[in-house]
Amino acid sequence: MTVPPDRGFSRRSFLKGSAAAGVATTGIAAAPAAPAGPTTFGPGLHEIELRINGKARKVEVETRTTLLDALRDGLDLTGAKKVCDRGACGGCTVLVDGVTTTSCMTLAMDAVGSEVTTIESLSDGDAVHPLVQNFVRCDAMQCGFCTPGMVMSSLSCLQRRGQPTVAQMQHDLSGNLCRCGTYGRVMQAIQRTAQGGGK
Amino acid sequence: MNARTPQEDVKITVGYKALPGQKDDRLEQRTVQPAAGDAPPWDATTQFALVGTDVDRVDGLAKASGRAKYSYDVTFPGMLQAMILRSPVARGKLTVLELDEAARMPGIQAVVALKEIGNKVRFVGDAIAAVAGVNLHLVRDAIERIRAEYEREEHNVDYLVANDAPMVDDKGLVTEDWPADEGMTAALLDAKVTHDATYRVEVQTHSSLETHGGVARWTGNDLEVWLSTQATFGCRGELARALQGKKVDVGSVTIHSEFVGGGFGSKFGAGIEGLALCLLAHAAKAPVKLMLDRFEEHTTTGNRPGALMQARGGVDAEGRIVAWDWRSFGHAGFSGSGGSVAVPNYYTGDAKVRRSHKDLAIDADPPRPMRAPGHPQGWFGAELFLDELAAKAGVDPLAFRLQNDREQIRLDQWRFAAERFGWDAARARANAPGARMRRGVGLSSARWGNLGNPGRPAHGITCRIHQDGTVETRSGAQEPGVGTKTMLAVITAEELGVDLKLVKATVGHTGDPSGPASGGSTVTPSLAPAARHAAFLAKQQLCELVGKHLGVPANEVVCAGGLVGLGKSQLRWAEACKLIGPNPIDVRGQRFANYDSKPFHGSQCGVQMAEVEIDAWTGFVRVTRMFGIQDCGLVITRKLAESQVLGAMIQGVSYALHEQRILDKRTGRMLNGDFLRYKVTGARDLPELECHMHSIANGHDSVGAAGLGEPPSVASAAAIANAVFHALGTPVRHLPITPDKVVQALAKKG
Ligand code: FES
Ligand code: FES
Repeated sequence: MTVPPDRGFSRRSFLKGSAAAGVATTGIAAAPAAPAGPTTFGPGLHEIELRINGKARKVEVETRTTLLDALRDGLDLTGAKKVCDRGACGGCTVLVDGVTTTSCMTLAMDAVGSEVTTIESLSDGDAVHPLVQNFVRCDAMQCGFCTPGMVMSSLSCLQRRGQPTVAQMQHDLSGNLCRCGTYGRVMQAIQRTAQGGGK
Repeated sequence: MNARTPQEDVKITVGYKALPGQKDDRLEQRTVQPAAGDAPPWDATTQFALVGTDVDRVDGLAKASGRAKYSYDVTFPGMLQAMILRSPVARGKLTVLELDEAARMPGIQAVVALKEIGNKVRFVGDAIAAVAGVNLHLVRDAIERIRAEYEREEHNVDYLVANDAPMVDDKGLVTEDWPADEGMTAALLDAKVTHDATYRVEVQTHSSLETHGGVARWTGNDLEVWLSTQATFGCRGELARALQGKKVDVGSVTIHSEFVGGGFGSKFGAGIEGLALCLLAHAAKAPVKLMLDRFEEHTTTGNRPGALMQARGGVDAEGRIVAWDWRSFGHAGFSGSGGSVAVPNYYTGDAKVRRSHKDLAIDADPPRPMRAPGHPQGWFGAELFLDELAAKAGVDPLAFRLQNDREQIRLDQWRFAAERFGWDAARARANAPGARMRRGVGLSSARWGNLGNPGRPAHGITCRIHQDGTVETRSGAQEPGVGTKTMLAVITAEELGVDLKLVKATVGHTGDPSGPASGGSTVTPSLAPAARHAAFLAKQQLCELVGKHLGVPANEVVCAGGLVGLGKSQLRWAEACKLIGPNPIDVRGQRFANYDSKPFHGSQCGVQMAEVEIDAWTGFVRVTRMFGIQDCGLVITRKLAESQVLGAMIQGVSYALHEQRILDKRTGRMLNGDFLRYKVTGARDLPELECHMHSIANGHDSVGAAGLGEPPSVASAAAIANAVFHALGTPVRHLPITPDKVVQALAKKG
């Protein structure tokens, strides 16, 4: 089991002391000559820097903007889907510091300083992650709207468990809804990948 | 015309070879007359290179990699976001609507009224006004500043107390007398064993993961809409009609819908959200995106209606059904229609049969078609009724079906399923008296009748062969996830004898030839023969070129295995295509009427079996395994067809055990309009699932395919309910079978 690290203020930024220093470390663009004391953001838009799929990306958000909206509307990374916007379906699943996270329930600002991994990182032109390949091979999709979220939860399942059992897969996918009913084939795709299939 | 074009009688073989483990082939000879110019028919003897194999979904990689752009994902520079203000009142009149303050809010660029003062408000969620602005936060802020007031009227959201509702007792049993019918009374009196019971199902929402809505962009009077829809052409006409005041006609509207995140019957119309989106984009002079949120999706985009169903019937001394009396009452919304229920008609032979149905209006969002409309409801009631009747008569449910089912295909399927599932052993296993965990097995038939849209020959497909050897097959119809693109590509590659990788299938743009709505399982049977005809015509043109080049008669040139030619004179496909020149071969295939001769079978048959395990202490039901056999005419893409059947079985588990829209009687509002409290089956509820595709050559057109959206959705919930009956020794006659109902049923049984 991986323990999710605390987000928001990192231990390192806390040790650095002043709030202003903390802001710099977490990558938020410096506010115009703020007086000493806590920095405030908003109302309205301000720019933050996120680390997404290994790259630094600048995006304008409000304090209330979710990570999902920042990805989709701000960066045109539309693999993560907005399905319920309430943490109930897993369609928006991304990894934050390696942990499956419903990006609709995470504020964009809270992801500053973390490594965000999205479905887009699993393919680059014709180079495709074996798990994605096996989703296709096992036909683990129909309409495909839940599929990016399913792939991300499956990826985390594989990363944490290596050779997951059926019960473990069911546990790890239990936050992902699929209306078309593809669960069985999603689990086949995970198993095939665990056994080294694909590619 | 090409000499290979069959214009006279063609003899074909229809039917199917014996199912695995069975002895008898069900093959018949037919003589058919294909239309002039159509491709020669495929039949039960055709040797396919691709059709029926396990090809991968052609857009699978786009979907699994997150690259596929659904309407929800479309974005343009300067695009605005939008939302709809919804009525909190279930019934009444709009008396005040002030939009000015909202329009002045920061970032807001358009506000439109969707109702006028004095208009009726018909349910909680009725659309009142819409707002577009630079982001959803600001839009939400502005929506709160709209002043809308209503004159409330008394409302009712309980169909069992609606006007015209039948008399029911406090347990929901129909107490009203059956309408008099002497023949029925006599048939029931003659029967050796009779039974009478009331069944009930609750409202299910479609719950497509991509909500309704889209993106609209105007260029002058031309309108493009990226819409999450099951009917590109229907929506195009609908929007053009609604926007007549904006100098719009059908020709100036283009719908795009390449990827759709599910629809299940709820997405035939552009709806008020589609119209609002276009009006906002027009007013704001900017592209606008409007996608419903999850609560709106649950409460304003239709549902599978609830129903109250009563059956009585009887069997003779041999166990044959001699009387079957059925009436149902459908849970309609404010429209007062759409709640109807279908029941099997192949068990009753010449028995005395009567059926009636009445829809009951309430002040709620009306039903829309949902995967086999009316069928899962009616099959649940009818098949559970049959099991209860069989139990009274002391007959095994399978034996009872074998005795009464009149369709040969299904008789073979019953036996096949029983063998695969291990019916006899599973059925014979008794639960220890007083055991906590109870097991049981149940079964149900399925039927859906459709062989395409023969009345709509206008449906077409474009096929292009390019100089570089690539092939396009294009339809303007949409694909909500069923595999249409893959089907078109496979048919085209099969006809041209080329590698599937060379064929690119495109759907969802109304600039391409028209196709049907994705409803009633009509797309595959309507478009497969058109795709084949298009490829057939394109092939003829290529054969002309190759014939001339090789100096062989064009009408004897064959395309197969990536080669084009005759005998020893062959060109590789790539070489042959170089003869084409800069303009591609570009033809349009059409959907001819079905052959005049009788098809092997006019509908699709299926059988499903289910096993459940029930915790008698908690009432919790788990479906442990299911088996289904399903016919869809010719199976074109096996893996995708299986996905559709397996998915339907999971939806059936969900319908049988979990799903229920709950409306608050006082406010009329849905209490569980989200995915936290509206339960849809998840990975943990997944049974062991297996299915067998039963490929049948129907011989009704050049391909012989039938659709697969509806057929496998019919049986699942009924099979599960029958398994629960077996496990408990007493039926639960009300879906969903939640723990409270199980515990009550056991308590009543004692
Ligand atoms: S959209 Fe985030 S969990 Fe549903
Ligand atoms: S594939 Fe359609 S929701 Fe999962």
